[in-house]
Amino acid sequence: MLVNGDPRPKKFWATPFSSLSFFPFCTSRKPTSVYGPSMLPTLNFTGDVLLVDKLSPMLGKVGPGDVVLVRSPENPRKTITKRIVGLEGDIVTFLVDPGRSDLSHSLVVPKGHVWIQGDNIYASNDSRHIGPVPYGLILGKVFCRGKLFLSDNQFDCEQMRSSTSWVFSIPMEESQVSCGHHKTLDDWHNDG
Amino acid sequence: MFPTFKDGNIVLTERITSRSGRVGSGDVVLIRSPDNPRKVVAKRVKGIEGDEVSYVLDPKNSDEQKTVVVPKGHVWIEGDNIQNSYDSRQLGPVPYALVQSRIFFVVWPPKDFRLIGNEVS
Repeated sequence: MLVNGDPRPKKFWATPFSSLSFFPFCTSRKPTSVYGPSMLPTLNFTGDVLLVDKLSPMLGKVGPGDVVLVRSPENPRKTITKRIVGLEGDIVTFLVDPGRSDLSHSLVVPKGHVWIQGDNIYASNDSRHIGPVPYGLILGKVFCRGKLFLSDNQFDCEQMRSSTSWVFSIPMEESQVSCGHHKTLDDWHNDG
Repeated sequence: MFPTFKDGNIVLTERITSRSGRVGSGDVVLIRSPDNPRKVVAKRVKGIEGDEVSYVLDPKNSDEQKTVVVPKGHVWIEGDNIQNSYDSRQLGPVPYALVQSRIFFVVWPPKDFRLIGNEVS
């Protein structure tokens, strides 16, 4: 941890819920450690250290393509990392169960909500299952992922890209989806 | 939230209950609106995850009630002034993580100085 007058960073332990104030002059940004398969290949399965900007969501500067930290609507103690696909009013189109069927669905994101999806759509529990997520649950925007080199006192950070190459648009029917109901493949089939 | 709060009331809130996950039925909380992330409203929690909540669909026209089970990770909020409140009866269950803090005391004006309890006063 860089403290005033101390040029050598101390040892950094990356545990799932640790976050240290790394730069004293930018306390709005915190390094956070995340893990899991849902954001492959952007983020590693076994864990990545990310620099998270906590001011952007408060200023409304979060948009489609951004990787964000979101408090889970299903478990308030859990924080999930996903990419924003659509903001309120946007039409989002997505594959409902990409491993097993070609079925895709489109809907309009309701007011005050965002649609989040993991980059690894085959192994991600996201808005396709839990519905659109209220914007107020966004904790911060990830702006880079990094490695800390202790020997030469360096924090090397790779910027997040806003790749959304898998989003496509087809003619659709508009429908509203509400938060709180966990949808399965059968639910999407029945919705038509 | 009439009659619990009136215009001009100043209240004390605490974050310990909400951060530790102990918000329960009857608590008055400050909660960020799911419809408008810049708006924080005061409502009473009527049910937490797993609870069954019954409410009247259209109080002016009929007595028909609907019962809902609050899903995991969500709360059911209602304003004390049932006739004039925009809450879970229109919005649906709200994620628990949107709860900002719990209101426990009214401090202003001095004649309203009191603790906020679990029942509508």
